[in-house]
Parts: sequence; structure tokens; C-alpha cells
Amino acid sequence: MDDTQRRVDAIRRDRSELENHIIDEYAAGKITRRDFVRRGTVIGMSIPLVSFLAAACGGGGESGTEATSGGTATGTAQPGGNIRVALIQPSTEPNPLIVKDEGGAGLLGSTGEFLSFSNDKLELEPRLAESWSANDDGTEWTFKIRQGVTFHSGATLTANDVVTTFESLVNPKNASNALSALGGVLSPGNTEAPDDATVVFHLDAPNGNFPTLVSSANYNAIIIPADLDPADWGKTFDGTGPFKLESFTPKVGAKFVRYDGYWGEKANPDSFELKFYDEEGPMIVAFQGDEVDFVEHFSVSGGQALLSDPNAQVIAIEASTHRQLHMRTDKEPFTDKRVRQAIALSLDRNAMVDGLWDGKADLGNDSPFAPAYPSTDTSVAQRQQDIEQAKQLLSDAGMPDGFTVELQTWNGFEIPDLAQLVKQYASEIGVTVNVKIVGDDTAYYGNAVFGDSIWLDSVMGITDYGHRPVPNVFLSSVYTSKGTWNAAHFKNSQADDLIAQYIAAVDLDSQRAAAKQIEELLLDETPVVIPYFYNFLSAAKPNLQGAVSAATGQFDLSKAGYTS
Amino acid sequence: MGRFLLTRLGLAAITLLLLSVLVFVGTNLLPGDVARRKLGNTASQASVDQLNHQLGTDKPILVQYWNWISGLFHGDLGTSLSYRLPVSELIGPALTHSLKLAAFAFVMVVPLAILGGIVAALKRDKLTDRVITIGGLSLTVVPEFVTGIMLILVFGLWLDLFPVSANAPDGSNILTQLKYLFLPALTLVIVLFGYISRITRAGTIESLDADYTRTAVLKGLPRRTVIRRHVLRNSLLPTIAVIATQTGYLIGGLVVIETLFNYPGMGRLIFTAANAKDFPLLASSVLIVGIVFLIATLLADVAYSLLNPRIRYATAE
Repeated sequence: MDDTQRRVDAIRRDRSELENHIIDEYAAGKITRRDFVRRGTVIGMSIPLVSFLAAACGGGGESGTEATSGGTATGTAQPGGNIRVALIQPSTEPNPLIVKDEGGAGLLGSTGEFLSFSNDKLELEPRLAESWSANDDGTEWTFKIRQGVTFHSGATLTANDVVTTFESLVNPKNASNALSALGGVLSPGNTEAPDDATVVFHLDAPNGNFPTLVSSANYNAIIIPADLDPADWGKTFDGTGPFKLESFTPKVGAKFVRYDGYWGEKANPDSFELKFYDEEGPMIVAFQGDEVDFVEHFSVSGGQALLSDPNAQVIAIEASTHRQLHMRTDKEPFTDKRVRQAIALSLDRNAMVDGLWDGKADLGNDSPFAPAYPSTDTSVAQRQQDIEQAKQLLSDAGMPDGFTVELQTWNGFEIPDLAQLVKQYASEIGVTVNVKIVGDDTAYYGNAVFGDSIWLDSVMGITDYGHRPVPNVFLSSVYTSKGTWNAAHFKNSQADDLIAQYIAAVDLDSQRAAAKQIEELLLDETPVVIPYFYNFLSAAKPNLQGAVSAATGQFDLSKAGYTS
Repeated sequence: MGRFLLTRLGLAAITLLLLSVLVFVGTNLLPGDVARRKLGNTASQASVDQLNHQLGTDKPILVQYWNWISGLFHGDLGTSLSYRLPVSELIGPALTHSLKLAAFAFVMVVPLAILGGIVAALKRDKLTDRVITIGGLSLTVVPEFVTGIMLILVFGLWLDLFPVSANAPDGSNILTQLKYLFLPALTLVIVLFGYISRITRAGTIESLDADYTRTAVLKGLPRRTVIRRHVLRNSLLPTIAVIATQTGYLIGGLVVIETLFNYPGMGRLIFTAANAKDFPLLASSVLIVGIVFLIATLLADVAYSLLNPRIRYATAE
């Protein structure tokens, strides 16, 4: 037995059953190295540990989906300097409870830190939590809180700050946006601190992905001092991160400088400043005009100029951001699943990915399981365009001459173009789709409740979904019978059971087994079509190294710097 | 003159009150509610209701209006619903930015357009007239975002002469600020030149054809004196009115230009407030723009009456 094997054995003796299970899966080649690292970090193994085990145990190769880099190219970044960042305008005040968009998330994450950081590879990097572990059935998660951490105001971080933060986030009286991820998962009063260095979450039900829900992926969950009202956070931006606030001007921007009392490696740049933009176009122009060095996020349609710009490093992150074409399963003409399948089969997804996204997207297979998720079972056959089969299905459903249907959506991103493509492809099987663009997102989403929302009431519609590092929220909100975002009105007890199984599954094997069944069921039932999952794109100047983006709108500039 | 001013101020106050009511009604007619806009499309209805309660936007609309207007009489513009900051802290910097841009644009366009209009009138139906009139009109009809983008591409990116954003870094001196403001101001010059010069031209031609001008010429006065004393004094009256009416647009209506040049002025602030259904911010911003507009028209009226005494006598009667 060599040294490496001895070290592996020693490590495994100290690890939990859950952690050993995933090591076994990797060693047996059941999961790829990338999935091993992602999943290992979620259940509480550190990245160095997972990396060592990945090298030591061999195991599976890379998956078929090519991972794209989320950080700027490596090189020798000079210390110091000021990095200018273009960020989309936050739509609300910087209140951790209220923030709902990328601009706000970027602002919170500029000084605030999370229990862990969900990086560009969907791995969880420990931050204010040093480690975490679950009980056997995944109903209780214990986080070890890092000691010696101070807030920018000088107070020392304790487990009580973490408890207060999460109690505030899950309190229904606080109108917290974090409830979209934590609602039904963690109830008020169920977070406790047995000592200053430990926080225990008692969950409403087993949940294998819980650490992700309290990481930076839930951008509301920055840890703030227990005695600070979240509504007042915007006055000081008091956090524990490597940068502290120097100035903030609403609607204009903010500047942050290195925090010398940071617990970890001190920030490489002296400072960074955020410039807020209402629109993508001026942001791109500012980048090309050398007024900003880093564009936190841009789209293919709006930022085409950057894709071919030799003075731009384009950072593409594989993400779960997608468009969903729903078909009301309780309304004609979509009550027959063959009709829904026919629409799905009419679409040329490869052409959509190339035409709308310049290839910077993964094919969707009509379920929310994006290729980026470790739990996605990629052995499920990819649905491809098949006009003949689509026509046959329509004929079998008693509609050989097709039908006419209205497709409603809103005017944003590439969505109107996608609607036109759906119309065009559907015409090839004799279906007339009348596209109705109802205005902006407010008009489409309405009050976001059944009976008062075009999104939830339309027979056919296209909806945009942002990135989630795990599919839990998509599954429970969109595909369960009681889902509040179930625009297809899809009610299927088998799906409900499988989704409950998936969410409760703690180990990757069980998650993937449930995922496979969900993917196959959704392909068969086709309540929705998901044609693609597009990449999250950022851009940096060629001489800027070490900037890291995450698809939730977070970015990390603490190791960034200019090479010249 | 005192009575004239008092009458105008009284009318201005009534206009502003009506304006606030109109904005209030308009804001409430917009679909959706404040909390929904703040929390996003996918927030739960319970969270939305809770936030509406916290913000006070679940109260009857008349109560909300009364709370705002009564605060206004005490000098309090209220608190922004979307930013949770005193409205004055948001409007102050935005208004300063807008006034800077408007002043710079005015300084460039007013003399240029008046000169252009006078030259066109004096060279009526000649090539110079055609170039100024048709050229100015052609530039005016080009949408401002097209003009702005062209200027950004040519002067900002290709020639690299001017910044592509309009907001100078904090602490910049006046020359740097003017450099940053040049491209948006030039966009406004291009947009306004044709309009103002055309009005000036028409006024000048009318004055040139007037009996008093003919009399002045016949009496043997030098041409320069005729133009300065008799033509310009009368021909500029409509021009002054037109310039005054552009003030509201320049202070509160530059949403496109401010967005294009990422300039934090009143136009963007009003647009953001309308989008967020942020009534205190929206109503106060519109009111401030209204006040600036009324001051500008009041100044125009005063200038008008100074140039043409018949007007103030008629008002005084």
C-alpha cells in the first residue's frame, strides 16, 4: 500500500457515510471528476480535500458537456490597482431581505459574505462556514462557523449572527425574497446555535441540497451582525468580506476598498468600483471605450460586439438559466400529451442554440435538469426535431390538419425571437401559432397568482427562469401539483412523488436515480418545452486576471489584478 | 409688473397642484403594485402583502396622497418606496446633473441656432438658407438615440476624443466635466438646432417684412442698426418662448440620452420611479421639473414683456 492510498484510507475513516458514498461513486467511475468535486463540496468536503481524493482515486472522466471557464485567464496579477466594474442597476435599496436581482446581488456580495460561495463551477467554497455535515436522513445540517472573523464595523462574528440572519430571512413577516428558496425548507425557530462556533438547521423535510440554499446561490443570505436591522444595512454595508464600503451613491455606483482586517488572504486590488447601468448597450460601449474593465453580465443578443472583440476576455459559465414554453395541460388543444409532444418535436433546438445564442448554450431536454447539474442523468435520450413523428402524433390525437393557438409572452431578451421561431417551426406541422407580445415583464407576470397573471393563465406562454445552482426550486414550484409557478397546470402524482424523492435524496446516486425518472416522465408528458440552457457571460479586459463570476450575479475580485 | 408676476405665480401654484394630482392618479392607474415591483415576479403573495403593509401602500389612495402632500407643505418630499431614502437625497444630485447638462446644451445651441436662424432669414431662399433650414430640420428629425449612438461611435470609440459616458469621476474639475458632457450636449444641440433656428428664421422674416422695419430702412438707418434695434428685438420673441418650453424636456425628458450616456439625471430618475410605481419619488420629481419649467416660462414671459411692453400693459389691465 503506497502513501497516497494510506492517506486516502485515513481520510475516509474520518468521513461520514454520505461522504464515503460519493467517494465510492467516483472511484467506481459512476460520476465524473467535475461532478465529484461539485457534489463533494455541497455535502461539506473542502475543495482541497476533494481535489486530492479526485487525483488519488482516479474514477470517472469528464462528462460529455464541455465545462467553460468562469474566471479570467490565469497570469501574474500585480498587487494593487482599482478595478472598474459595470453592473446592471439594482432595482431596490441594498437590503439583504429585499434584493431580487443581479444588480442587488452584486452589491450585497461586494462586502457581505455567505456561509459558502457557489463558484463558477457550481462548487461550494467554504467562507464563513469552515465545514458542514448532515445527519443520516438529511433533515439536520450542522455548520461549523469560522472563528476570528470580524465585521467591518469591528464586531466579531459569532454563530448568533448566523442564526439571526437566517431567522430574519425565513420570517414571513419580513417579506423576504429568500423565502422563494427557503420556504417549505426551513421554518422560523428551527435554526439554533448550540455554541459560538456551531449552527444547526432543523429542516422541515429531508434536503440533500440544503448547503447550496444557504450559500451565495441564495444571494439574500449574506451574514450580517445580529443587532443590525437589514433595512439599515445599506447605510454601512457592514459585512465580513475582503472589501469594505468607501462610498455608495444610489443609481450611480459604489466604491469599495481592501479590508485589512479580513480573516483570509487579503484582497489583491486596492479597490474596485461599481458603475450602475440601466441598459446593457451603454455598458458594452463603456467597456469598449475603456471606462470599465469588467462587465459582470451581458447577453449574446446585446453584447454581440464583445464576442468578436480581441480586447475582451469573454467568460462563459455553464448555467441553468433557461426559457420555458408552457402548454396548459388542462386546456385545449393541449390536454392530449401527444399534441404537446408534437410541438416539442417540431423545434430545431440546435438551430436555436446557434442562431439565438451563438452556440453559447446547452441543449434542453424539456426538463429543468440542466447538463450543468451533477444530478442530471445525461443518459436520457435528447429530444431532437422530428417533423414526421410530430405530424403523426397530431394525426393520432385527431388533429391531422393542425390547430390554431395563441402564444403569449413578453418583450425582453431574445424571447420575442424565440416566440417567432416556435411559430415558424410549428407551422411545419400545420399548427398556427399567433404570437402575442403583451408588453414588458410586469404585464406578463401580473400579480403572479393564478387568475391574475398572463404567465400562469395563458394556454401557451414563454417564461424566463434565472440560474439556480440546484434544481430544487424549479422542481417544487413549476412541476408539482401545488407548485405556485406551475403555468402548465401540470398535475401528476407520480411527478409529485419523484420530486419529493429527489429533494429528500442526500446522496448523488439517489438524486440521479430520481432525476432520471423525472426527466423521462417530463419528456413523456411534456407539460413544458425547455429548448436550451444558456451560458452566463461576463467580459474582462485582456490584462485583468483572476476575476471570478458566478451565474447568480455574484463575482469575486479579491484575487483579481492587472498584469500590466 | 408686480401684479403680472403675482398672477403668474398664483397660476403656477394651481398648475403644480393639478400636476401632482395627475401624477398621483396616473401612478395608481399603472398595473401591478409597489411591493410586487420590488420583490419581483416570483415572490409569494404573502411577502408582497407584507411589504405593501410595511411601505404603507396598502392604505387608501387618498390617505397616501394626503400623507405626501401634507409632508410637502412642511418641506418634506417624502421617502422613496424603491430606495427607502429621503426623496430629496435622490432628486438633489439628479437635478444638479440635469441642470448642468441643460445649461451646457443651452450655451451651445441657443447662440448657434439664433445665429443660424437670422443668417437664414437674411439670406432667404438662397443656398445658405436652404443648407441651414433643410440641414437643421433633417438633423432634428433623426431620433436622439441614433444621433447619440453615432456620436459615441465616431467621437468616443473610433476617434477616442471624448468619453462615452457623461458622468465625470467625483472631484473632476469643470473642464473635465465639460469634456464628459460634450457628447450628450452635442446630441441635444443637433436635436434642438433645427427647431430653434427655424423659429428664429420665421420671426426674423416676419420682422424684416414689417412696416416698422420698412420705415426704419426708408428713414436711412444703417442696415446693421435696423437689424439690431428693430428686427431682432421683435424677431426673438417667439424664439424665447420656444427656448423656455424646451426647459422641461431638457430637465426631465432626457431618458434616452441619459440612458445612452449613463448619466444620472432627472429623466432616468423619473423613468425609474414610474417603473417602480414609486409615487413619492415620481410625484416629487415631476413637481420639481414642473417648477423648473414654470420658472423658465416665467422668465420667458418677463423677457417677453420687457422686449414687448404691450404684453405687460395688456396683462396689467
